[in-house]
Amino acid sequence: MNSIIFLRTAYIISWVVYAGYLGRLLLRMRLVEAERKEMEQSK
Amino acid sequence: MKKLALISIPLVLILLGLTSYLNLAVAPTEATMGDVQRIFYYHVASGWVGMFCFFVNFVASIWYLWKRSPQSDALAAASAEVGVVFCAMLLLLGTLWARPVWGIWWTWDARLTTTLVLWLIYVSYLILRRFSTSGQTQVLAAAFAVFGFADVPIVYMSIRWFRTQHPSPVIGGGPDSGLAPAIMQTLLINVAAFTLLGLVYIWLSYKLQREEQALEAAHAQAALRGAA
Repeated sequence: MNSIIFLRTAYIISWVVYAGYLGRLLLRMRLVEAERKEMEQSK
Repeated sequence: MKKLALISIPLVLILLGLTSYLNLAVAPTEATMGDVQRIFYYHVASGWVGMFCFFVNFVASIWYLWKRSPQSDALAAASAEVGVVFCAMLLLLGTLWARPVWGIWWTWDARLTTTLVLWLIYVSYLILRRFSTSGQTQVLAAAFAVFGFADVPIVYMSIRWFRTQHPSPVIGGGPDSGLAPAIMQTLLINVAAFTLLGLVYIWLSYKLQREEQALEAAHAQAALRGAA
């Protein structure tokens, strides 16, 4: 099998994982912030 | 939140874009392995950041056991999570390099096995934090992390102590070790960029952990008010 496929796969996976992880962190932060605001409003 | 996204998204994209460009378009092609050697830059940089994160987790865990500060607990949790991501990438990129170069995806040699065990230790740490219902979860996790870190020096030394399929150390490996200057320069830029990437993730994950702690405290207070 052509080794270029492995190189491409490695870089695509790296981009997906590292950018995806950033997206996941920011999304989780938004959800937690929204939940906290909701709690403060319901006080 | 918007400010964090405005800083972190472009920074991460620039770091990934810059390193990808350097590794794929600027760095010279290695004579023996050819283009597939370019995986090495992300593989080593991910490994370095993973180990750095586990070291931060180790120090923060000791600090938590000593001072019981919620900040150090949040830092320990954040660094372990980021470390697991980078260590997973280390293993994954290693297998993608091994298949065309060795002809196999995986072998149970000392370096690969101890690294897999290391990853499993920190996955267990995160599972413990997530699912333990004990009131002492943070203390248990911190003690677990202190013992878990013992595998990091074993991973580092494994290619020195044992004869392995994994290549010998290229940095600090004795008189026969070393890299061509252009490859070394590219590697160092990758290591610096990934260190910054790791710090951005730790910072974001720390902020998230602190938010979650505040939310948990608010829930506990609300429950107390309801019970009163």
